[in-house]
Amino acid sequence: MSETFVLPVGPQHPALKEPTSFRFKVDGEYIVDADLRLGYNHRGMEKGCEARTYVQDIYLLERVCGICSNAHMTCFAQGVERLMGIEPPPRGVFIRCLMGELERIHSHLLWLGVAGHEIGFDTFFMYTWRDREVVMDLLEMVSGNRVNYGMQTFGGVRRDLDGMQIKTLLEGIAALKARTPYYLNLGATEPTMVARIAGVGKLPREKAIELTAAGPTTRASGVDFDVRKDDPYAGFGDLIPFTIVTDNGCDVLARVVVRAKEMMASYDIMEFILRNLPAGEVRTKAPRKVPEGETVSRVEAQRGELIHYIRANGTDKPDRVKVRAPTLANWPSTLYMLRGAYLADIPIIMAAIDPCLSCTDRMAVISDVRGGEKVWDWETLRQYGIEFHRRRGIRP
Amino acid sequence: MSLRLGAMLPEVFRHLFKRPATVLYPFEKNTVPARLRGRPVMDPDKCIGCRMCERDCPAEAIEVTQESETRTDDGKVKRRFSMVVYVDRCAHCGQCEEICPAKPDKAIKLNEFFEEAAFDRGALKIVYK
Repeated sequence: MSETFVLPVGPQHPALKEPTSFRFKVDGEYIVDADLRLGYNHRGMEKGCEARTYVQDIYLLERVCGICSNAHMTCFAQGVERLMGIEPPPRGVFIRCLMGELERIHSHLLWLGVAGHEIGFDTFFMYTWRDREVVMDLLEMVSGNRVNYGMQTFGGVRRDLDGMQIKTLLEGIAALKARTPYYLNLGATEPTMVARIAGVGKLPREKAIELTAAGPTTRASGVDFDVRKDDPYAGFGDLIPFTIVTDNGCDVLARVVVRAKEMMASYDIMEFILRNLPAGEVRTKAPRKVPEGETVSRVEAQRGELIHYIRANGTDKPDRVKVRAPTLANWPSTLYMLRGAYLADIPIIMAAIDPCLSCTDRMAVISDVRGGEKVWDWETLRQYGIEFHRRRGIRP
Repeated sequence: MSLRLGAMLPEVFRHLFKRPATVLYPFEKNTVPARLRGRPVMDPDKCIGCRMCERDCPAEAIEVTQESETRTDDGKVKRRFSMVVYVDRCAHCGQCEEICPAKPDKAIKLNEFFEEAAFDRGALKIVYK
């Protein structure tokens, strides 16, 4: 008879880059059952949005995540634009899509490196991160900064492209386009790497649909779901042609392949954008007050489908902003993948969904059942945070 | 695709003859991009005192105060404003520069300075008079 015991991992653990807590029921090296507890990372951003104006919110929401900052900004901007009833001009739409794809490249290269690092292949990590600098330099040239580009705004984008920049962008994309097949070949043919990732973290197609997996995780299970196709936004749909990459491998190897091929698809999108950039303005004037109404805005971020819900009450501040990050959609399938896996495969299975807890986590207020619901406003929350740190001897 | 042992090796050997990809910061520095959003700098001579930057700043890092009010000989009121920028709070989004309506030249601009680390928080409170 086998004996099982529960192994807690997290909320603070050397293998976790961000705080989350797992309970693994293990039988020797096998994981029999996995459970997850969320709610260790709270930043009060959704509440903070309600206390700020729309213009301030767009920069606050950009800082939800450092990797997919542009996706959050785009998602919020296009939702508010819909409420305002304004449309960005064609040139603005094209540059908006270009930023999204540039960000996808940087994120996927970063992820490839992290995946290499998690399986102990640090040479791979060094190479991908070195090449990632090419796209970082392009982002820096276009927007001014390496992270938090601040490019999107209500009614378009904040900065235009000139001829010189378009030339540099095309050169950079060509360099990356020549480089990416190498990673694809390496990921799919290098025996040590394949041995480590093939057949690990199996997620069958039906399970991916049933557990609402998102982004490359679901596409690596053969589901061709992509917000750019299913709910076209910005220029996707009719203006900008693109291909959806899927793979039927259903394992971590398939997720590497999907991401590498997705980068190749993104290069084509960007080349199309830069060669067919319409002339004209990049933004239209947006009002400061937003008419009453509510909307759901969706964007295909690098990690999957990102949803922003915005409710406006006719003032210059939103009534409610809700962010549903792709990682939250991917947790149920991760737990499924972990069940039956080896203990040593935990890091790579978790890394394969490209988790981002700063996007995902929310605070849970657990109060007395008899006390009813607790509603905190921004100021109470802020004071609570200051007091929390003061008690631990940290000067706010 | 068939497995290939040592697929990595040609690339590894090629790197023996390449220069390092990294720069020895802070002894060597890369040039900053022309569009960099660095530290906000205010020019009191150009400020018209509309407080748009103060209102829009997502980090509440800007404070605008009126310094003086003088009446010129032809009856026009001339006001002078000062500004405090808390650089430790600044998110470097550039909204202040974007919204500034002063003409012909904007009164607040982001320069190319990015090395903001300091031992004293007080040094990051910058007053423009």
